[in-house]
Amino acid sequence: MGNLKRLPRPKKIRITPTNVRLYNGVVRNWPNMDEFEKFLNEGGIVEPNDDIPEGYRNAVFSFIEMHANSEYMGGLTERDWIPKAPGLHRKMTALAKSQDEIGHAHLLYMVAADLGVKTREEMITDLLEGRTHFHNVFHYRVHSWTDQIAVAYLVDAAALASQQAVFKNCSYGPYKRILRRVIAEEGFHMRNGEEMLLLMARGTDVQHQMMQESIDRWWLPSIQLFGPDSRPDDELLRWHIKSERNEDLRDRYIQKFVPQLLGGGFTIPDPGLRQDSEDGKWKISEIDWQPLKKIMRNGGPDSARRISDARRAWYDAEWVRVALDAAAKADA
Amino acid sequence: MRIADTAINVVRAAVSSVTDPEYADLTIQQLGILEDVVADSISIRVDLVPTILGCPALDVIEKDVVAAARASGYDVTVRFCMSPIWTPDRISEDARQILAEEYVVTIRPREGPTKCPLCGNTALQPRSDVGGTACRSVEWCPDCRNPVEVVRSRQMGER
Repeated sequence: MGNLKRLPRPKKIRITPTNVRLYNGVVRNWPNMDEFEKFLNEGGIVEPNDDIPEGYRNAVFSFIEMHANSEYMGGLTERDWIPKAPGLHRKMTALAKSQDEIGHAHLLYMVAADLGVKTREEMITDLLEGRTHFHNVFHYRVHSWTDQIAVAYLVDAAALASQQAVFKNCSYGPYKRILRRVIAEEGFHMRNGEEMLLLMARGTDVQHQMMQESIDRWWLPSIQLFGPDSRPDDELLRWHIKSERNEDLRDRYIQKFVPQLLGGGFTIPDPGLRQDSEDGKWKISEIDWQPLKKIMRNGGPDSARRISDARRAWYDAEWVRVALDAAAKADA
Repeated sequence: MRIADTAINVVRAAVSSVTDPEYADLTIQQLGILEDVVADSISIRVDLVPTILGCPALDVIEKDVVAAARASGYDVTVRFCMSPIWTPDRISEDARQILAEEYVVTIRPREGPTKCPLCGNTALQPRSDVGGTACRSVEWCPDCRNPVEVVRSRQMGER
């Protein structure tokens, strides 16, 4: 059992109030990319009715599509735990979180479809046929309840950190507005993860050991969620779709979570982990990015099962869509 | 002999600034979740009205209320009331403004069309009866092309 007094109390997530009501109805166009980039550099927000340059449209579309796919796959993972979660309260939480994630996916697919690159049906079909991608963390199997806690604590926190960084400076109006809500709701999920982890940290030796095994499985996928170092010419950064480099986000995450886990009496599965004697910063071993590349081509340890489960869920619910369509037609 | 009104007022002031577990810039007072602070001769109780009875955040709200009261110098118990029933009418004007401006969330008026909080368009298109939570539906504004979440003014099950 570790020294629990050192584990800091979960902090409430606070977002600097940023009014996302930036819509003023003015339709803009830009004579060339230089003018467009100047507009973005000055903090300009792009709206759907603007004359959006093709390159930007495609980039922002792919980014939102990937986010939507990840929320959707995340919601399905959470759903798997509704019947298995221990106790009514945890089941209610799993249900609410699953509904949140699917709700986020819904909003994101609406905004992505509006960009006119693909319809929502095309995006869903591409996802279910394994042609498009989703976050690395949903390509692994969740083996146990403590795995699910590790996902809620480590993975949700990593996802939240990257969403907060996108929100801060995001140049696409409708996406920025959705992120505001997503972040508010994910903050609550993270608090829930922290609470469950603390419970295990204070639990029996067996529970503590189970939690440790789950941390061992999920630590590396969580820090890999931020991706390899950003390329210097990354257009997502240049166009203010993202606002921070992957390596900076990853480093901040490590500085926060290494002391938290150690404080809870857990170890970090990294033999090369050390604290720099000069600046006191935590340094991790070099990451081998080859496995991530395979995972991102849907070749991860659990990718095939996850995608086929998503496909089954989609076709099992076909009758609901048919019934809703029929009801809508009858009302009209 | 009962607990002095000053104590009740201190507790009321402390717990009314407790924020919603998700929307950190809205308080339980603004959202109409805080119903009353009452006292008998030995204890102070905070009455809360949950937005929905099955809300998984209730224990978090309870913990936050107890902690806020304790920080003001008093131990309290929390009771979740079965009545009155929470409706969006209980959301204060300033909270409505924050929801609209910060989150593109609007409250369905009892009468008249729902307005897009961004551009004022009244011809919103329904997209889903439920959104991320059961109390909100999702609509699409075809003018400014943003999704709008609408808090229902009626209970689930009613049309």
